[in-house]
Amino acid sequence: MKKNFTFILLLVFFSLSFIILYLSLNKVETYVPKKITNKNIIKFSAQDLFSNQEVDFNNLVVKDKLTIINIWASWCQPCRNEHPFLMKLADNKKINLIGLSYKDNNKNSKKFLDEYGNPFSKVLVDKDGLISINIGAYGVPETYIINADKKILKKYIGPIKKENYFEIIGHANEIN
Amino acid sequence: MYGKKVKLRFFFFSTIFLAILLTTFLILKSLEENVVYFISPSDVKVLPELNQKKMRIGGMVKKGSIETNSNEILFIITDYKSEIKVSFSGSIPNLFAEEKGVVAEGYLKDRNFFNAKKILAKHDENYMPPEVKKAIEDKQ
Amino acid sequence: MIFNNIGYYSLVFGLFISIYLLFFSFFLYIKGKSNNDLNLNIYHFSLIQLFLVILSFICLILCFILSDFSNETVYYNSHTTKPIFYKIAGAWGNHEGSLLLWLLVLTLFIFLFIIKSKSQPKKYRLLSIFFQQIIITGFFLFLLITSNPFDYLFPTPKEGLGLNPILQDPALVIHPPILYLGYVGSSIIFSSSLAALIENNLGTIWAKHIKNWVFVSWIFLTLGILLGSIWAYYELGWGGFWFWDPVENVSLMPWFSLTALLHTILVLEKRQLLKLWTIVLSISTFSLSMSGTFLVRSGILNSVHTFASDPERGVFILIFLFLLIFLAIFIFFFFSKNIEQVKGRNFYWLSKDFSILINNWFMMYFLSVVLIGTVYPIFLEVITSDKISIGPPFYNKLLIPFLIPFLIIMSFGPKLKWIKDRFEMLKLYKILFFFISLIISIFIYEKLGKNNLLISILILAGIYLFLISLIDFFKSKNNLSQNISHFGFSLLILSIILNSFFSSEFSSNMKIGDQIEFENKIIKFSKIESKKGSNYNSIVANFTIEDKNKRVTNFFPEIRIYNQPNIMTSEADIKTSIFYDKFFVVNLLKNETYFNVRYQVKSFMVWIWISTLLIALGGFIGLVKKIR
Repeated sequence: MKKNFTFILLLVFFSLSFIILYLSLNKVETYVPKKITNKNIIKFSAQDLFSNQEVDFNNLVVKDKLTIINIWASWCQPCRNEHPFLMKLADNKKINLIGLSYKDNNKNSKKFLDEYGNPFSKVLVDKDGLISINIGAYGVPETYIINADKKILKKYIGPIKKENYFEIIGHANEIN
Repeated sequence: MYGKKVKLRFFFFSTIFLAILLTTFLILKSLEENVVYFISPSDVKVLPELNQKKMRIGGMVKKGSIETNSNEILFIITDYKSEIKVSFSGSIPNLFAEEKGVVAEGYLKDRNFFNAKKILAKHDENYMPPEVKKAIEDKQ
Repeated sequence: MIFNNIGYYSLVFGLFISIYLLFFSFFLYIKGKSNNDLNLNIYHFSLIQLFLVILSFICLILCFILSDFSNETVYYNSHTTKPIFYKIAGAWGNHEGSLLLWLLVLTLFIFLFIIKSKSQPKKYRLLSIFFQQIIITGFFLFLLITSNPFDYLFPTPKEGLGLNPILQDPALVIHPPILYLGYVGSSIIFSSSLAALIENNLGTIWAKHIKNWVFVSWIFLTLGILLGSIWAYYELGWGGFWFWDPVENVSLMPWFSLTALLHTILVLEKRQLLKLWTIVLSISTFSLSMSGTFLVRSGILNSVHTFASDPERGVFILIFLFLLIFLAIFIFFFFSKNIEQVKGRNFYWLSKDFSILINNWFMMYFLSVVLIGTVYPIFLEVITSDKISIGPPFYNKLLIPFLIPFLIIMSFGPKLKWIKDRFEMLKLYKILFFFISLIISIFIYEKLGKNNLLISILILAGIYLFLISLIDFFKSKNNLSQNISHFGFSLLILSIILNSFFSSEFSSNMKIGDQIEFENKIIKFSKIESKKGSNYNSIVANFTIEDKNKRVTNFFPEIRIYNQPNIMTSEADIKTSIFYDKFFVVNLLKNETYFNVRYQVKSFMVWIWISTLLIALGGFIGLVKKIR
């Protein structure tokens, strides 16, 4: 009787600890913002990688197209994995793909694009990573889907995968 | 009525029980006294009351805000919504720099000024303390 | 490239062998023939498994030495310009490599266990191997599924991302392996105590046999904690050696549990008492070691020491850890009925057994304080989403008062006889010692001021234990190992107290050419020079400190700027002498003309290291004696 009670008590105690520790694991992940979607993207301007001119992001959002910001860097390994999907996205006429090069030197960025192809209609430079932080990014790569009203529809953390690719195409097709 | 052994046993168990109770009480009491809460500059602004408890404030060091003189360092912690001025004298960690995550431990003077006793920054260049991430994210 | 493949496939084969051994040992156990020889296949396969894991570890090291960046682990953690010593160390300085090291030690220990347990009953050995292989299989799966050290990268990058320079420190190169030896040793204790419980094998013979393993893991755990602390002192540049940081606490918790076990096992050996308690301690030591790995590697802990973490890995270890805990609980409750308690044996209040029991209570108290301090913030965040941290005052307040009776019991407990001792009249030297300690502590109390009564009493207890164990050391040679450890412990407590009270600190912001007065000394910042290291550039600041007798000491603290990754670190200039360390560190503020300067005089620093070494040495002597 006494023994069974201790036994059950221990089981309950450890199960609870397990649940709490498990939740706290997910807590770590919730540092990734979930509420960022459906908010307006911040206003920012940055230098163009090729022309070195200051570009206002507002002017890049086009009415009848889905704007996508992809934050990447030449030193970032997962960026290489998602690159083929970006190339495919670039073929879609309803998508305007903009690159934001994160904490990278321009020479390496250009070399990367030479080597793997350039899917971006424009590449902006975020040398100190501050724009990315302000947008709400925590690392590279990250991808933001923005509609004509400059609202963030969706955000992908980490490299774009096959299913993400189809999702994006889906979003693009909803635009008339 | 009861044998000597039973009595002894009862005595033994009640001692253990009391010891556990006392321990729990002690631990909980000093937990309450020594806990340091972590808040963001925006939380400071909406704090219901200012108390003299030790706390930690986390955020980013605002660009261009560091001022140094011979006995203290002044800087501003921001979570991109609100900011708070921090004064600190003592030694700073290696990675303390503008636009880097920082956690300051100390006491609030008022809603806009914080007296730091300790500065913490993590030893990783790309590191943003989770608290800072969270603080910034909550304000978005 | 080739080593990458060899390494990977040896791991895969290692996993197969592990699964085979798992079923095979269970099968043999069920069949249960009573001849006392173990099936030779078990020897052979364990040896092959060990060989495969060693091979794979060597392959990883070779990948690091050859800077093979097609290996993802190497790419993220190494760089061509890194010194060869740290290239090799890079192999286990990261998550994947360190787990491979865990696995290596696991397979090494199970092989040693098989060799060393020949005198034990066959069924017990089979069952221990079975439990140990469960753990090994779990680690193989963990390694291969979530953190494969041989992940292939294409296209091959030309240059790696470098290793965190904070980790480029000799103490840290040996710190993880040593600590893991301690952790993994506790896994053997876990498996074999479960096996002994099921087989009802808990007695003097088993206690003698498992004692060696307890000693081995205890020694390594002690040394591992010491090395971690030394690293924090020299490298983190804060001038402290223990911060009650969660990552440090996590290594301290199994130590408390293991220390309790180390003492309990003696009672089991001599008196066949505390059988179930021994099992509980074995289970808790291993669970705490595993949760240490879990908490550090999952990033749940918010600590100054965490470098990289991945929640997904956390889930795996968490589930694995709790499966093992539940397994252990089930076995414990199911089989503990079988254990017959020896009738009519009790603890007499004045006996060695009872003093060991008291030691256990204290250890459990220390353990629960540290456990609550570490885990409470995690739990609170989940429940209320308040973020808190618990600082040193919490631990000081709860630990210091309890250290006093602990030290006093330590001073006479070991000298009591087993079973029942008689109360002797106090010997003259004991009274003498007591008065000596009293006088010294009153002296210190006067010097410290009135607020430190508790500390002064603690010093009294510390000095008393110090003197008693010193005299025992010369008087009786038969219990050398225990004596040295206890002596080391008293020395440790005393040095920590003296260190925290007789240290002084000066910190300020200074420009080149500045001169500041501090405690009758003049600190002068004369100039800076730049220097080039193998993979870093450094700024060396020249400081002179002139005391009132015009004696001048020079300090050259350094700020290093590493190339890859681009990280700045401060290298303190530490001048060590017998009674104090002088610790000088500077920090650079970007775009500022001021340097942030800190000068500390830390008393008795070396003695903290020496006394911990003595504690471990005591264990080592005990082990050597037992093996001989």
